[in-house]
Amino acid sequence: MGEFFSAVFEVLSTEAAFTAAARFAVLLAFAAAGEWVAERAGTLNISVEGMLLGGAFAAAMGFHITESVAVGLVCAMLAGGTVSMVQAQMSHRLTADPFVVGLTLNILVLGVVGFLESELKPSTRLASVVEVPFLVDLPLVGRALFGQPWPFYLIYVVVPFCGWLLLRTRWGLEVRAVGENPQSADVSGIHVNHRRRQSIYLAGLMAGLGGGYLLFGQVGRFEPGMVGGRGFIALVAVIFGGWRLRATIFGCLLFGSVLSFRLTLPALGYQLNNELLSSLPFLVTIVATSLFVRATRQPAALARPFIRGLK
Amino acid sequence: MNESVLSRRSQWAEAVTLYVLCGLGALVISGLLVTVVGASWSDVWNALVDGSVRKPGRWGGTIGVATPLALVALGTMVSNRAGLVNIGQEGQLLIGAAFAAYAGANMVGPGPVALLVVLTSGALGGALWAGIAGGLRYWRKVPEVLSTLLLVSLAANVVGYGLKNSWLLLERGAGLGNRNSVSEQLAPDTRIPHWSLWGNDFAMSAVAVVLLIFLVSWMLNHTLWGYRLSVVGQNQRVARRFGIGETAEGMKSMFISGGMSGLAGGVMLASGDFANYRLVAGFSVSIGWVGLLVALVAGQRALAIIPVAFVFASLRTGSGFLASTGIERRVTDVVQGLIVLALLIPPAIMFIRQRRRALSASRSRV
Amino acid sequence: MSGGGSASAGPPPAVEVSGLTKNYGAVAACDAVNLQLHRGEIHGILGENGAGKSTLMKMLIGLVVPDAGRISIDGASVRIMSPLEAAQLGIGMVHQHFSLIEALTVWENVALGDRGKLSRSATRASVAELGEQYGLRVDPDVPVGDLPVGLRQRVEILKCLRRQPEILIFDEPTSVLTPEESEDLFASLRQVVNQEDRAVALVSHKLTEILSVTDRVTIMRNGQVVNGYQTDEVGAAALAQDMVGREVRLRSTALGNLGGSPSEAGEPEAEGRSEEISAPTVLELRGLEVRGPEGVVELDDFMLSVRAGEIVGVAGVEGNGQKALVDALSGLQPVIRGEVLVDGEVVEMKRLGASHEAGVAIIPEDRHDSGLVMEMSLAENLMLADPEGFSHRGVIDRGRLDALTEELIERFGIMCTGPHAPLWTLSGGNQQRAVLAREMTSNPKVLVASQPTRGLDVGAIEYMAGQLRQAADDGVGVLLISSELDEIFELADRIVVIFRGQITGEMTRATATREKVGRLMGGDLL
Repeated sequence: MGEFFSAVFEVLSTEAAFTAAARFAVLLAFAAAGEWVAERAGTLNISVEGMLLGGAFAAAMGFHITESVAVGLVCAMLAGGTVSMVQAQMSHRLTADPFVVGLTLNILVLGVVGFLESELKPSTRLASVVEVPFLVDLPLVGRALFGQPWPFYLIYVVVPFCGWLLLRTRWGLEVRAVGENPQSADVSGIHVNHRRRQSIYLAGLMAGLGGGYLLFGQVGRFEPGMVGGRGFIALVAVIFGGWRLRATIFGCLLFGSVLSFRLTLPALGYQLNNELLSSLPFLVTIVATSLFVRATRQPAALARPFIRGLK
Repeated sequence: MNESVLSRRSQWAEAVTLYVLCGLGALVISGLLVTVVGASWSDVWNALVDGSVRKPGRWGGTIGVATPLALVALGTMVSNRAGLVNIGQEGQLLIGAAFAAYAGANMVGPGPVALLVVLTSGALGGALWAGIAGGLRYWRKVPEVLSTLLLVSLAANVVGYGLKNSWLLLERGAGLGNRNSVSEQLAPDTRIPHWSLWGNDFAMSAVAVVLLIFLVSWMLNHTLWGYRLSVVGQNQRVARRFGIGETAEGMKSMFISGGMSGLAGGVMLASGDFANYRLVAGFSVSIGWVGLLVALVAGQRALAIIPVAFVFASLRTGSGFLASTGIERRVTDVVQGLIVLALLIPPAIMFIRQRRRALSASRSRV
Repeated sequence: MSGGGSASAGPPPAVEVSGLTKNYGAVAACDAVNLQLHRGEIHGILGENGAGKSTLMKMLIGLVVPDAGRISIDGASVRIMSPLEAAQLGIGMVHQHFSLIEALTVWENVALGDRGKLSRSATRASVAELGEQYGLRVDPDVPVGDLPVGLRQRVEILKCLRRQPEILIFDEPTSVLTPEESEDLFASLRQVVNQEDRAVALVSHKLTEILSVTDRVTIMRNGQVVNGYQTDEVGAAALAQDMVGREVRLRSTALGNLGGSPSEAGEPEAEGRSEEISAPTVLELRGLEVRGPEGVVELDDFMLSVRAGEIVGVAGVEGNGQKALVDALSGLQPVIRGEVLVDGEVVEMKRLGASHEAGVAIIPEDRHDSGLVMEMSLAENLMLADPEGFSHRGVIDRGRLDALTEELIERFGIMCTGPHAPLWTLSGGNQQRAVLAREMTSNPKVLVASQPTRGLDVGAIEYMAGQLRQAADDGVGVLLISSELDEIFELADRIVVIFRGQITGEMTRATATREKVGRLMGGDLL
């Protein structure tokens, strides 16, 4: 036990640890930023996991065909968008249960992607690292924040963009209204289910992009198990963050750091129990959420379908 | 108000049409997927049917897979009634199997008693695992949809750890250089007896599970317990007013739900159909996930679990014969997912149409 | 028959509706309605609940599409397919149940429904400006959820006025206001109409309101326009008769809810029950404290008692703790301090279902929320009162349950397809009867009725009132919570007023006047 804590302490003082933590955190952040918008609209999308995976696979295929990382990322976004479209149409037009749809989509995407990967076998590589001069030399965090493969830097656009979209635009105002009180929003002339679906599409695009980042910025080659439950952790980050963006990103940093311990602790020479390391992110997630969930801040209409004329 | 509720005949007709259309849609898309990859759809279909039921001795195996699926689905239905979203069956099943394996390796006693203890331990393990998520929901407001999910990954790690240590689950006496992560094999008299019928071999547990489905189905609809569960699931405030505790009923249903998944794990172990009476890495082979899907498709009717579980089990056992057709086994995962999605559509459409009819017929909502 | 007096040969009416029809299944919610709204006038649309006034307005505002008929704005024929189109045509509505979102601030709510770029400064400025102009001042940066009900309505009105509508529709605006606030509202309406030559439609079921505020009045009944008058040419009796379709004594129970003030028609007999000082106290609330989600105090050192056979009316504007009171008595909100005594014995409120067991029956304000389980059948809902009584060793005795349900269907006149009818297929009035049936069969000692006649038609209102009286006659202590002053005056033996979670006044029916009670409701301490 004592060894564990001293390991953590040492980890916190190495640059490699921060770099790894940032990488893991950013994956969560791509998914969480979009899902944050979607949850503020009152939707809960378990299929984020599938959006990430679909994005990663599409990125691999896109790169395989064109040898371009940029094209791969665009394909990733489209794939994420496609998964989100199924989720949105089935849950917010056909009123099928969002949990059921989300779960099925995850399983379906896993199956499709696994099947296609074994038949098509795409080959990929990591994107090239781009260093921001001066900033990359900052102690501890320099390389972590400014010396990563270039898809990493997209997060600096994605997160503020999502924040601006929800908090400063008319679209965002309507989305927030829809998440708090869809009946009132409807009476005010807002298309409730349109806004909900649109917010889910946004989540899909962002999560898809995240999948592309996962491929080009973190892992380098495609495996069907590469997301490994992190879509769910991103979901939890939104809840842990009390549906506020800054706190959600903090959650991503926290959970991402713990995820990265699996790499950094052994690399520093600590031989900790393998299973303990693998389960740590999930344990920390559960414990953190249990301690800090503030259900009172929840968008009032979260995960309840809207049909005009019914409560 | 008569206009708002369709006659039984037209309700039936609407349901059948929708289901047939959607089912066909799923099959068509699967067929397209198969042809895109260059295989022949009829070859695939034949291989699936051969592998699941047609060839001699196959449907016994299919029953062996359907049994734990049905158990998991039954338990899921119970927690669904209470309005809970339990999606951690895979983990509950695994922990149940682990408890069962531990009991099996450490039990001393006559065969049938030992078997009973093994199965009960399985149920206990699953119940506790689900209970964690239930407790987190009722005492810390953590949505169970997330906690049960996270607990699945945790379960895999816990069991993996167990399988590496002989004081827990690992087989004792294995040579040091040759350690597979497997548990003790269950003693021959601690195993579920098999029956043989027309050349097909299957565990007795299948019959027991069918009986259990009938029992639980009846209980859900005719006992006070089932009634209270329904009230809690549909309107917690009304339930509380009349002294029906959301927490009490909800926790009970989580224990039952997890318990059945855990029992399914125990059955998988003791029937020998999965890893020859041993607990191995990756033991659960998605039975938990697919069992959940079975429950989702069966909806509110517990009896529907029996045919649905059989169909999904057939997909699995049938896929064993796919190698000869040149197509990846994983295509059945895709087909499975498509079928579930397709089957989600008819109830959703019927629900919307029913509500729209009611709204237009009811004058008081003017 | 067209509404309003003789049509002048001047400019075309702001709104003209001819032959407007809307059917829901076999029922005509609006049947060939003709109506004219002129500028510079406040036009009252009077009718009981279910008469079709709401549907008519929904068609004007674009929430509902008519099946037949024509709408003209300033002489030009139009089709209104959405609230946005209605706004573009200059029609604005201030809704009965508000279209505000509590979590958003005032300016954000006001901006909702606009088009174009969102500008915080511009919206805030217009809120301030309009507030000055019409005497409807509100702080633009406060979340609407923090505002009291009267101020929320101001925000609704500002939201409507901001779009410079030519035609304003007010749907039952005074249901949540004190008499004083209602006066202020009508003064603002007058200003809007006179100084700016707009047309205002006031939809209401209250006679007194219509008589005092409007220039013209149209009466609707069963989806049809029945009559139209210049308001100063007609009296309460004629209006009441048009509304209900038969001669009505203004003192009849039903009209208690329609704004027929008993003091207009002469003094009512003082009810005899209040003289029974010897009747035992069946319900006593001592120093109750109840808090809401963020720790806000909703009931504060609350004291109340009800005797057997007595009807105690709790008057007050919505939002002063009534919901907390009912929820606390139902066991749905925890009681932090104080005691609840039924028949002199303390009820352990912490225990689930304790108040029900002690004999407290509740007819909640919102049956969907805490009264009935809509998805279940009538029989299953009725069983809630005593599930063990219908089962034998844990197994439900369906035969006995169905039999009793049939009996209750007879006794309470519930119209439905049978004991197995899902509750959502019943109409509102019948659902209310189902609630009543269930509550009364458990032989309660106390009956708490919260806004029991809201949204019901005259027949149902009469029935409910009769049932409440009957319960009191049978020795049950009745606690009637209502924001309709007339209902309180009609039924209660003793009247108390609730304001900000406390009882601020108490008087017998004989000594009560609407003016006194109205002032207490507004916070005046006498």
